[in-house]
Amino acid sequence: MLELTEAPAYFEHYQEIIPNFQEFLEHLKKPLPLYFRLNELKCPREEIVLKGLERQGAKVFPVPDFPRFFRVEPRDFPLGNTEEYYLGYIYPMTLSSALPVLALDPRPGEYILDLCAAPGSKTTQIAQATGDRAVIVANDRRLDRLTALVANLKRLGVASALTTLYRGEVFPFGVPFDRVLVDAPCSGEGRYRQGYEGELLYQKEGHTNLPAIQKGLLVRAFDLVKTGGVVVYSTCTINPAENEMVVDYLLRKRQAEIIPCEYPLPHHPGLTEWEGRVLHPDLQKTARFYSHETESVGFFVAKIKRLF
Amino acid sequence: MTRKKRKKIHREAKWPRVVSLEEREEVLSFWEERFGIPRETFEAYLLLSTAKNYWLFIKPQEIRPLQNLQVQTVGLLFTRRVSKWLKPTSTALQRFGHLATRNVVELTPTALDRLRRERRLPFNDNHLEEGYVIIRCEGKVWGCGLYSKGRLISFLP
Repeated sequence: MLELTEAPAYFEHYQEIIPNFQEFLEHLKKPLPLYFRLNELKCPREEIVLKGLERQGAKVFPVPDFPRFFRVEPRDFPLGNTEEYYLGYIYPMTLSSALPVLALDPRPGEYILDLCAAPGSKTTQIAQATGDRAVIVANDRRLDRLTALVANLKRLGVASALTTLYRGEVFPFGVPFDRVLVDAPCSGEGRYRQGYEGELLYQKEGHTNLPAIQKGLLVRAFDLVKTGGVVVYSTCTINPAENEMVVDYLLRKRQAEIIPCEYPLPHHPGLTEWEGRVLHPDLQKTARFYSHETESVGFFVAKIKRLF
Repeated sequence: MTRKKRKKIHREAKWPRVVSLEEREEVLSFWEERFGIPRETFEAYLLLSTAKNYWLFIKPQEIRPLQNLQVQTVGLLFTRRVSKWLKPTSTALQRFGHLATRNVVELTPTALDRLRRERRLPFNDNHLEEGYVIIRCEGKVWGCGLYSKGRLISFLP
């Protein structure tokens, strides 16, 4: 586990790319605001939820530019113990976690694959965004994580999803997917902060070659989407080796194009150079989100179009 | 509120079958006649079946490519066949129950607490038909109950 006192040394090699680096380090000591997404599939009147939570002592504020998202005070309010949670009216999630689905822009009637879906925050967000009217294939390679995904789909009342248990890198061909989301397993550097020191999951394991896994997932996702379709690749890490360099690998292997995207949170263009290596110039159209600027988890999002 | 232990899912689950038009009609008629939820509500969905369970799943443009996938779960558990009767699931009632126009039981928070604790309550309501009912409290649909012989029996999860 990386202690907070060791964080400045750990993140030091990102000093050039993280804006206001000292502010970033200070921000790691602060807790993040608490947010939830309202599930209108089950809850046709939002005041039922808002009044219910207020009666239990929470203050709830809508988040500008994030429809159906609300901030909750106090930050340690036990949302997971409320009947609103139990009945599937709410899904607690950070704001930046919502960005990949905003980039994906799913539409009713489409075939959509969520390749690394568990525990289901984005799958259920896709279901909501399409009014439960797209065909969503929610895949995860681990049965224990898939169980959590299935529980969340049931809790939120989603009828448009089916679940599968494939290794993402070998997900079978045959379904003409319009859009694929790869919210890839990552080192989780964007989640790191006081109280969440254990979020750097792979740091302690040491041997997992995350970029290799991520490249395998992204290439497969690209091959699964139909021509003209969209792949969104996202991680919650700062590490360029897991972000731009993975997308760079795809751009060199396949006929792909990065699509610029509007986001409702402050962000920076992706890197076109890292540790002396020149990357594809299109990578500046990807987006980096830093926790101290967004009051949320650090994220990376790339929206990619399949040309051929 | 205590969370229930999650049920394990099977690694080798099979694709459920698409039900016949007659079977679909039977299930959707039950929802319409029992709760007043029009069958058009489910027009965009397929009805699938595994053993005694019916699942609701969005109607794809083409189902065949999906059927080549080895699936774990498909859609939302909608209705069960219990003996010769159909029983709505609480999961489905929580999703669609707000559209119901009849056989809805409105409980106070105290009565709901008691029902969840004791699993049955003495209960009389002349507007209710005997059989499965929707349990609602302060605008929130909690799920399925059974109204029979002056009692309300909980099938809430």
